[in-house]
Amino acid sequence: MSHAAADIRLSRFNPLPRILAFDDFDDGLHGWCELVGNHNGDLNELQPVFSDMRPAQLSTCTFFDLGTHGAVDGTYSMKLATRPRKFHQAVAIKRLTSAADGLVQFEAWFTYKAEQTFGAKDPGARAWDGNYHPSEAHFGSFTLWNDICEGTEPRDRYHAALRYENTNEEGEFTQRWLYKTGLHPTTRMLREGFDSNQNDVHVAKPDMWAPIPGGDQQLCFNEVPTKVNWHYLRWLFDLSTRRNTELQVNDLTMDLREIPVLRFEEGYWGINRLLNLCMDVRTTSNVRNFLYLDSVVISADW
Amino acid sequence: MRHSFTAVIEKNATFHEDFETEPYECAWASEARWFIHVAELEGDGASLSARVQVSPDGLFWCDDGSAFETISAPGMYSLAVRDFGGWLRLDCGLDGEGSRVRLMIYLVLKE
Repeated sequence: MSHAAADIRLSRFNPLPRILAFDDFDDGLHGWCELVGNHNGDLNELQPVFSDMRPAQLSTCTFFDLGTHGAVDGTYSMKLATRPRKFHQAVAIKRLTSAADGLVQFEAWFTYKAEQTFGAKDPGARAWDGNYHPSEAHFGSFTLWNDICEGTEPRDRYHAALRYENTNEEGEFTQRWLYKTGLHPTTRMLREGFDSNQNDVHVAKPDMWAPIPGGDQQLCFNEVPTKVNWHYLRWLFDLSTRRNTELQVNDLTMDLREIPVLRFEEGYWGINRLLNLCMDVRTTSNVRNFLYLDSVVISADW
Repeated sequence: MRHSFTAVIEKNATFHEDFETEPYECAWASEARWFIHVAELEGDGASLSARVQVSPDGLFWCDDGSAFETISAPGMYSLAVRDFGGWLRLDCGLDGEGSRVRLMIYLVLKE
């Protein structure tokens, strides 16, 4: 029996030997905070896409029709909420550093929703038929990602980012996992003239995402915007190879070892052994999108 | 140890008309304090009003009954609220001719 299986609160996870963090949002936000871009004290210096990432919330999952839904256990989950504006993105980050190279695993129980709307918000949208609900088409994507920097040398810094795309930029269902093939410019790169659409923290242009082989997956939206079903997610990455290892979401496990992870060509100062973990939600409609995490376990083999 | 969390509800945001802040969940906290830090307030007779609103579901809102005193100059302003249920927001009015405000809004929650 693994050490986690012996603990009733951890037995729904499968952590590596050393648990770095067990974030049960029934007792606070555990260091998950709003991502803010770089600035010199003047917030006018923020890149537009990094200027309004919204504060995380402790949510009761309360809805107008059924009241409080609650979480997997207890009452609260961490909620990330976008504004009701197309391509707005809400991002939470947890900032650590790494003590060694090796495996790091992020596990979570999560769910996702678009806000309830009333009346015909999108003329021409597929109609409610008692099973399918048009609210599902209001949800854009959520992404898990890291920000790693081993030292100050060129190519020491990289971001691995894995996105569940429910709908694409045009709002059409795609329901698949993606990885990114381009870098979003850092503030320093932008100041040097790098072009960006400024509507996705991960990439400068929307065509910089590619499908993960075998990554088509329909999740459990469950028919209406006020029923939440919690999903298991496990993401493993390797600091020694600078690659993703695998991503498991319920019964689908994707081998990611051949998926390229882009590195920054420049060296970065003052972020040695950076180990940031991030989650975000991005809407492709003018409807608020929500990502909820009941709990998170971050573990390592070092 | 008491729990506390500070949410930046508006960050260096500029408004030229009335606005409501985004819904924020606060069921876990029994006390809250709003801060409005007005960096710039411009326009002929420009003033900012801010009423506290509550909601059972984050969708439909009504006045809580408490409100900031009318703000007519840059500075830091604060208002404490209790017994607010599960959600809070501010309903803000910008008065005056050609008015413009740039501000920060914080919500400090404590249990």
